[in-house]
Amino acid sequence: MIDKNILETLVLKLGREAVVSEPEDLLVLGYDSTPGLHHTPDVVIYPTSSEQVQIAMQIARDNKLPITPRGSGTGLSGGSIPIKGGMVICLNKMNQILEIDEENLTATCQAGVVTLDLFNAVAAKGLFYPPDPGSQKISTLGGNVMEDAGGLRGLKYGVTRDYVMALKCVLPDGSLLSTGGKSVKDVAGYAFKDLLVGSEGTLAIITEITVKLIPPPQDKRTFLAYFDDIRIAGTAVSKIIAAKIIPSTMEIMDKATINCVEDYVKIGLPRQMAALLLIEVDGHPAMVAEEATEVERILNDVGAAEVHVAKDAAEAASLAAARRTALSALARVSPTTLLEDATVPRSMLAETFTLIERLTQKYQLTVGTFGHAGDGNLHPTVLCDERNTDEMKRAHAFYDELYEQVLAWGGTVSGEHGIGIAKKDYLARQIGPGGVAVMKRIKQSFDPDGILNPGKIFIANGE
Amino acid sequence: MSKQTSKKEKLGNFTAVDAPEYEAVLQCMRCGFCLPTCPTFMLTGRERSSPRGRVALARAVAEGRLEFTAAVKDEAFFCLDCRACTTSCPSGVRAGEVMEICRSQAQQQTPQGHMGKSIRDFILRRMLPDPALLEKSMLPARLYQRLGIQWLVRHSKALKLGPAWMEKAEGMMPKLDAPLRPQLPELTPAHGEKRGKVGFFLGCIMTLMYPEVSRQTVRVLAHQGFDVITPKETKCCGAPHLNEGDRQTARELARFNLELFLAQDVDYIVTDCAGCGASLKEYEELLAADEDHQRLELFRSKVRDVQEFLFDKGLRTEELLPVKTSVTYHEPCHLCHAQNISNQPRALLKMIPGVELREMNEASWCCGSAATWGLKFSEESKQVLDRKLANVAATNVEHLITANPGCHLQLAWGLKQAGMKQDVLHLMELLGRATPEN
Repeated sequence: MIDKNILETLVLKLGREAVVSEPEDLLVLGYDSTPGLHHTPDVVIYPTSSEQVQIAMQIARDNKLPITPRGSGTGLSGGSIPIKGGMVICLNKMNQILEIDEENLTATCQAGVVTLDLFNAVAAKGLFYPPDPGSQKISTLGGNVMEDAGGLRGLKYGVTRDYVMALKCVLPDGSLLSTGGKSVKDVAGYAFKDLLVGSEGTLAIITEITVKLIPPPQDKRTFLAYFDDIRIAGTAVSKIIAAKIIPSTMEIMDKATINCVEDYVKIGLPRQMAALLLIEVDGHPAMVAEEATEVERILNDVGAAEVHVAKDAAEAASLAAARRTALSALARVSPTTLLEDATVPRSMLAETFTLIERLTQKYQLTVGTFGHAGDGNLHPTVLCDERNTDEMKRAHAFYDELYEQVLAWGGTVSGEHGIGIAKKDYLARQIGPGGVAVMKRIKQSFDPDGILNPGKIFIANGE
Repeated sequence: MSKQTSKKEKLGNFTAVDAPEYEAVLQCMRCGFCLPTCPTFMLTGRERSSPRGRVALARAVAEGRLEFTAAVKDEAFFCLDCRACTTSCPSGVRAGEVMEICRSQAQQQTPQGHMGKSIRDFILRRMLPDPALLEKSMLPARLYQRLGIQWLVRHSKALKLGPAWMEKAEGMMPKLDAPLRPQLPELTPAHGEKRGKVGFFLGCIMTLMYPEVSRQTVRVLAHQGFDVITPKETKCCGAPHLNEGDRQTARELARFNLELFLAQDVDYIVTDCAGCGASLKEYEELLAADEDHQRLELFRSKVRDVQEFLFDKGLRTEELLPVKTSVTYHEPCHLCHAQNISNQPRALLKMIPGVELREMNEASWCCGSAATWGLKFSEESKQVLDRKLANVAATNVEHLITANPGCHLQLAWGLKQAGMKQDVLHLMELLGRATPEN
C-alpha cells in the first residue's frame, strides 16, 4: 500500500490521468509472459513524455520506492515484474513515432511504440526495420531495446542492438542522458548506447529511441521443409550455413509444436512429421533464385521428407504468422509453459536436439521445441502444470542439465529473452564471478541507491 | 438450480452457481496476443480492460486473492463480448465467455437497486420469453412512428432531457412494420428440385425490427430448394439473458427451443441472426450439466447460420438475376469470432451476378453495437463505430452488407449520423433482390 502523501504528490505533479492505484489495476500490472511470476506494485504511472518519467523517477528516489519500467508485458524472463513492489512506470502511452528521416535513413520513436506499427510506418515509405520479435504485434520498441529482442530475421539481419543509433533515457537520479545520434560513425567515449541496449531496465529508463533503417529486400522465397527426424533438420541448417548461404529466416518446430500450432491456425501443417524448417531467402532477385536452388538441393541431399515452396507472398506470410504463435499455441496442452532460450553454435544443433530428447526422457517431461534454428537459438518449452511441484522440480533439473551442456559447447543461457529473474543463476555460471562483479560495479555507478528494477540479472546476497 | 451448479464447489470468491471454470482462467499464459484485437483495450490502454487483464482478474477472484469487486463487475460489463480475443488467442482462452459468466456473478453478488432490478427482470423474464407480449409491446412504437409523434419528438429536442442512451435508442429505431412471426406460414414449400427440409429460427429483433430481412431469408431458402418450417412457438434464443448475466432464464429458454426444434422433422436449424446462431451453437455448453449429451450434440450438429448453410450446400446460381452494385462486407463479431464464419458470406457475395465486393480494412473489427453496450457506453461505442465508418467510407461502395441485426441498427444509425451515402443491407436482402419472384 502506498503512502497517501506520495500518491498525492504524484497526482499533483503528473496529473490524475497518469497515476493509477486501484487494486485491480495494480493486480494486472504485476505480471508479464513469464509463467509463475507475479508481484503486485504499489502504484503505476503512465507517463506521456520524458519529462514525466523524470518527475516520477525523482519522486520515487526521494521516497526510496523501487521503480520497474514496463511496456506491453510480453517479456519472457520476468524483467518487468516489480518483485520489490514500489512504482511501475508503464510506457505504453508514449506511443508516438516522432520522425522518419528519409535522408539519414533513421526513425525516432517514443519508447511505447508497438514494434509492428514502426515496421508498417517505415514500410509505407519504402524502408525496412528488420528486428521482428515473435511478439511484434504487441511488444514495444522500448521493451525490445531493454531486452535486446531478437526475432525471426535475426539470422541475416541481426537483433535490436544492431539497429539502435541513439537513445534518450532517464537515469535513476532523474537526470536525462542522451547517447548516440544520427551519425553513422561515432566513437566518442564509452559506448553507453551499447551498454544500455539489453540492460533490462536496470541502468536507466529509455524514453526515446532512434533506429537505423535499411532498404527492403527486392525479392524473397519461402520454403517449408519437413523431416522424419529432427536431427536431420539440425544437419540441414548447419549444411546451409556451411554452403555460405545466409537465409533471412530459418525457423524450426518439432512435432509437438507443429500439432499445437496446427490446432490453432488450421493451415494444413503435417502433423505426423518430426520437425519442420521454415526457410526464407531474400535479396536481389538473381541471388534469391540462385540461393533458393542451392537450399532446395541441400534439403533434398540431407534427406528432407518433403520440400514445399510457398506459392505466393500471402502463403509465406501465413507461414511466418503461424510460427509466431508457437509458444502461445503450446499453452493449449498444459496450463504452464516453461520456456527457455538456450543458444548454441550452429554446428552443434543436431547434438542439441539429441540432448533435449535424452533429457526429456530422463526427467519424464513433455517438451515442445521451436526456435530460430539458423541462429542456434532454441526455445525448448516444458509443458507442465505449476500446481504439480514434483513436475516443476523435474523441469528445473532438465534446464540445469541442459544449460550445463550448452555452456560447455560455448553457447549462451540467453539468446534474446534476457536474464531477468529466471536466469540469474545461469548467468553467473556463464560469465563467472569476475564478470558478475564488473557488471555490479557498472550497475552501482548508474544506480547507487539500487532503486531501478531491483532483483534482476544478478544474484543478491542471500538468494 | 441445475445439477452442475448444485454439485459444484465454491471457487475462491465466486459463488458456486455459474462461476467460471478454474481451468479456463489458468489456461491464459499472458502472451498478450489478444491486446491489439480488443476494442476496449484500444480505447483505454488500461490492462484491466484487456482480455488478458480481465482473465487475470477472474483468476485472482477464483484464487481468493481478490473479492468480486465493483471494478471486476465493471470490467465484465465493459467487455463487448465481441470474442475477437478468442479468435486471436493461440492458447484457446475464451476471455469473452469468462466475462459473460462474470456478469452472472455480478447479478448474484452485487444486485442492482429495486427499480433497476424490476425493470430488468420484467424485460428478461416476462417480455423476451413471450413472443406475443413482445409483439404487443412494439405496438406503441409503431403508432408513435405512424402518428407523426416520432417526427415531433425528433424535432423538439425533447430527447435531450432524458438519459443519453434514450436519444440514441430512439434515433436507431428503423421504420417499423408489422412483426413477421404471425405472417410467416408454418411451412414454406421448396421451389424446384427439393434439397432438404430446414427449421427456421426467427430471431426477436428480426421479426420486430427487420421483418423484411427474414422474409427474404425464408424466400431465398425456399427458392434454393428447401422446405422451410417456421415454428411459431419459438422463443428468444437467450442471448440477451447471457449478455445481462441471467443464465437461469437463458437455460430455460434454451431447453424450450431445444425441445421445440428437435421435435420438428428437419435436417437443419437455420437462422439469419448471427447473435442467435452463436447462442444456439452454445446451448451445448450452457446445458451441458443437466441435459442429455446426445441430444445436445444432435441439436448442435443441425444449427447453421444461413450464410454458412447456403455456402455449404452450394448456392444455386442459374436463376439469379444480376444486381449491379458495389458492396463491402462488415463481419458481425458473432459470426466471425463466435462462429468462425468469415469466408462463406464473401463467397456468396461473389456468386451474386453483378455484385462487386470491395474489401474494407478491418472488416472484422467490432462496430460497437454489442447488444446494449452501445447504449450503456454511448461515447465509447461512437469511437469504435467511427473507426468502422472511416473504413467503410474508404471503399466508396453503394451498400454496406452485414448479417446481424445489432450491427445493422448501429451501422445504419452511424451512417445516417455521418451523412454517408451507403445503406445497410443484410446479405439475405441482397440475395433476395437477385432471387426471382416465384
